Amino acid sequence: MEDLPSMTVSQRDQFLVLNDVFRIYSDFDASDIATQIFTVEIQRDKQLDYLMNGLRHLGPSFSSLDANRPWICYWILHSIALLGESVDDELENNTIDFLGRCQGSDGGYGGGPGQLAHLATSYAAVNTLVTLGGDKALSSINRCFLRRMKDPDGGFRVHDMGEMDVRACYLAISIASILNILDDELTQGLGDYILSCQTYEGGIGGEPGSEAHAGNTYCGLATMALITEVDRLNLDSLMNWIVHQQGVERGFQGRTNKLVDGCYTFWQAAPCVLLQRLYSAHDLVLQGSLHMSQPRDEDHEEHAHDEDDPESDDDDSDEDSNEGLLLTFSYHLQLNLVALFEDCRRVQPVFDSLNLQRYVILCSMVPEGGFRDKPGRPRDFYHTCYCLSGLSVAQHAWSKDKDTPPLNSDILGSYANHLEQVHLLHNVVMDRYNKAIEFFHRAV
Amino acid sequence: MHGRPRKAYKPEEEAASAAKAAKLRGLQSQFMANHHNKIYTKEAVDLSTKLLEINPEAYTAWNYRKLAVEDKLSRIESDPDLVKTILDEELRVVESALKQNFKSYGAWHHRKWVLSKGHSSVGNELRLLDQFQKLDTRNFHAWNYRRFVVELTKRSEQDELEYTDDMIGSDFSNYSAWHNRSVLLSSLLARKADGFLPNKKIPDEYKLVQNAIFTDEDDQSGWFYHLWLLDQTVNVETPLLTSSWPSHGSRISLYAGCSNGSFSKLTTFGSESGSFPLVLYFDQAVGGVSSSTVTIDSELKGNEDLVWEPVSKKNSQVSCVWVARLKYISSEPCFGKEYKVKVRVGNSPGIVSSRGFNFSASYEFVFTAHVHDTVEESSQEGIVSWTDGFDIWDAESKDLNALATLDRSNAQMDSKWRQEAIAEEIDLFRELPDSKIGKLTLARLLMAKAMISDDAVKGVHYNEILELYKDLMALDSSHYQYYKDEHSVALLRKVTSSTEDLSGHLFRCRNMNNSVCLRLNNLSLSRIASVEKLLFVQMLDLSHNELHSTEGLEAMQLLSCLNLSRNRIRSFSALDSLRHLKQLRVLDVSHNHIGEHSVDTTRYLCSSPLSNSEWPQDEVGSQMPSLATKYWDAYFVLRDLNLKQLDITGNVIAGDEFSSFVLQVVPKLVWLDGKKLEI
Repeated sequence: MEDLPSMTVSQRDQFLVLNDVFRIYSDFDASDIATQIFTVEIQRDKQLDYLMNGLRHLGPSFSSLDANRPWICYWILHSIALLGESVDDELENNTIDFLGRCQGSDGGYGGGPGQLAHLATSYAAVNTLVTLGGDKALSSINRCFLRRMKDPDGGFRVHDMGEMDVRACYLAISIASILNILDDELTQGLGDYILSCQTYEGGIGGEPGSEAHAGNTYCGLATMALITEVDRLNLDSLMNWIVHQQGVERGFQGRTNKLVDGCYTFWQAAPCVLLQRLYSAHDLVLQGSLHMSQPRDEDHEEHAHDEDDPESDDDDSDEDSNEGLLLTFSYHLQLNLVALFEDCRRVQPVFDSLNLQRYVILCSMVPEGGFRDKPGRPRDFYHTCYCLSGLSVAQHAWSKDKDTPPLNSDILGSYANHLEQVHLLHNVVMDRYNKAIEFFHRAV
Repeated sequence: MHGRPRKAYKPEEEAASAAKAAKLRGLQSQFMANHHNKIYTKEAVDLSTKLLEINPEAYTAWNYRKLAVEDKLSRIESDPDLVKTILDEELRVVESALKQNFKSYGAWHHRKWVLSKGHSSVGNELRLLDQFQKLDTRNFHAWNYRRFVVELTKRSEQDELEYTDDMIGSDFSNYSAWHNRSVLLSSLLARKADGFLPNKKIPDEYKLVQNAIFTDEDDQSGWFYHLWLLDQTVNVETPLLTSSWPSHGSRISLYAGCSNGSFSKLTTFGSESGSFPLVLYFDQAVGGVSSSTVTIDSELKGNEDLVWEPVSKKNSQVSCVWVARLKYISSEPCFGKEYKVKVRVGNSPGIVSSRGFNFSASYEFVFTAHVHDTVEESSQEGIVSWTDGFDIWDAESKDLNALATLDRSNAQMDSKWRQEAIAEEIDLFRELPDSKIGKLTLARLLMAKAMISDDAVKGVHYNEILELYKDLMALDSSHYQYYKDEHSVALLRKVTSSTEDLSGHLFRCRNMNNSVCLRLNNLSLSRIASVEKLLFVQMLDLSHNELHSTEGLEAMQLLSCLNLSRNRIRSFSALDSLRHLKQLRVLDVSHNHIGEHSVDTTRYLCSSPLSNSEWPQDEVGSQMPSLATKYWDAYFVLRDLNLKQLDITGNVIAGDEFSSFVLQVVPKLVWLDGKKLEI
């Protein structure tokens, strides 16, 4: 180790990215106000054109995604939903029919018609149908399948004879909890498996022994939250790891000492916000309802009256608490001194939210529509989905409840950039989540 | 989830790629037909090869091949040559698929599957890995596969360690190599392999990582490895008992009822239930504390089968804090006597840390309980004031030692190399004065040093740590709250580091039985720490801080009065940990932010818990359903507390309506917001 080279490959790559990013920032800072305002605006029309085109017709370069077609549906439709839009009935019906053909006879969705059912494409299909909403979409889901993917070791395999990792666990549990079929059999030994994947860095790796990785950290944390075992993780070291993955470019990297990438905006920012809320999580609801208790019909009837009751302000999803995944979050008060003088009630995110938005909009956003990993890379639907999702998380990192939309100052650019809020554990738009949850509770 | 197209196509390439796509579609449909009809002929299998070589992510095809291989193997009479030919072909297909896309989950998994059949050699696999790991040194699939091969073939971990030497030598920014090094070393150290004793190996590793850090202090890889080394230096895997209440050699005074005893230097304790808590605090979360792993030897009757409970947030069976309640008033009157109580922790094996390490050093402590027969009429109906009636602690007296002894984390057999390693690192990092991560590492090193050094020098270290975090808060505003929390932790460690420091904050409350009162007000604390040293505290003043939650206080089982006035508590949910405090009678949460926002539950995971099955049967819930709906978070906390005095003024939630709700939920309440309630 005496004669270390003056610059390693990673350092050279890092240097080049920094150069690109800082040039973009300095050009931006040097431009006049009108240009700046225009530059930071998300051109919704352009974005929607790009997404709608993708849904109608995919170029041949997507053939490598042939085993991932439900993902393309999810990436595009979720992005459209984040922009506050919906697709027309024809596209919606086509999508539902297409996904129906991807579904196996005993449940689960494959990457395309006839393909083997796979957890990843099942997750994508379920989230797509939740995003589309409506009885036709939601009732098209066959809710068997997950148990077959459960491994005796506690984790899940992505398909019959497939690999087992933290990603697979999250996919299974996210599906199960949205569909209201989460039970002890599915969660058995799962927490132990996820715990064995948390590394000394604090993040979570894909399998025992792997290094911490943003995607798996999100998956592991969200899984533990959904099965109410999140306290078993070392949350302090997890927080410590995540906040240090936001680098000088202000975007997030996915692993220690890797390059910044726009998609980690979601994979890293969502755990940050979750952790902040978890810090003051408590077990109020856990007593008496740790296990699944199904809602009784009376509850729903009572509930219907509540809607006229001005006193009851969180009536729209009372049913949720009947579900097994009962964790109550309240907000962690993380005010810094500056915020204290502005407004006592605001929660300062633990990551640098405005500068994160700046990275996504200036460096990842392609003005003609779509988002990309970093400057110089091509746009794609995956990055578009996770850049927009991350942007939404960043915009809503301050705000408290459904009645408190983000303030103007929480959003980089004009308020026209405001995106719909996502459910942090499933990454679907919140009101679509609420409708789906209502549907699947009725479906019991 | 990173399954995205690998490159963009230029317009001129489009024709070619369209043709390719058409070919792929053709292959795909033929393949599906074969798969669904279970056709495993050579032609059919070759077709799947073609498909996978174009699109390695076609996981259905990988599964098809597995079935095809099983089918072939079942037809041949275990002819080793034929088996080899069949499996070699699979390895070849995987290799060419990986050349197309070396991030394909399915391809790597297929190779693992073939290897699990007892095929291929270490040499082959390592050669293949070398190729891929040179192409992308951070490819986590390759690293995972490497660990799989090593484990499967029992390749020596020492050889693998040398491989990381090479990888780090050629690129010290390669964090994956550093990470694998930590995995290998952990294993080698844990099984005490030849030449891998921590006291020798860890100092060498510090030297290695110093090279990387000091070559380029902006490179993250070395820093994270350094963090791991520090962890190895400081932490001991076996769980230890950190403290207990009552502590070893202490004398406690027990009364029947809440009596008003005369001045005493002892901790006086009274309870209506005739029992007192016995608290064990471990340095890490453990499970398995029970009447067989912890035995009690005393003349106090009725304590043969103590029930130990973990003090934890969830229904978890592991916790740092365990409590049992010892009876001192049983059917036989035993007043006016002194009883020795001998507690033996780890009497039989069974206490295990959440990471699976056994509590091995069994430990015994003895305390004396003096049971008084004075059953005076309780005077505790009077209001408890936080301003009047406090006596300064007599710093000369020895009784503090008796209250808080036992700092067993020092008692490590081989702490010398640890101290030396940390001292060397500290000297080194003082040379990096302007780097944020340098300051942070220095602060962490000093914290580690303070933990294992003598009381006399601890204070100096803590002062330096506090300065470092102050600098960091100014330098790096985006991580402000993190530094702020660490600053609070360091401050509390400092305050509790010596009897001198602590006694400056201690008082006796005359009106409260001379209860021990600790004042930690006005310290801008944002987080609670060092609770293990404060188990004896009965009154705690945390007013004028920046706390947003009471997490940590659940260990303080003796706490009867708590002042949280003028903090940043936002909801009753943030007080949830107080539900574990069975002695708590007086709570001041005035001038916080409770009620400014509705508790956010609807947006995340679940709504209010009111539709719980237990709720409708509940008395309060059925009497005033609308208030219960509105104040459910307060309800769930308050109903489990046995409060006599509550201060809630200065919060948005406070008001006549809330007061009437509180009276229903806490019927024994005597004082609300400084006013005596008419009963």
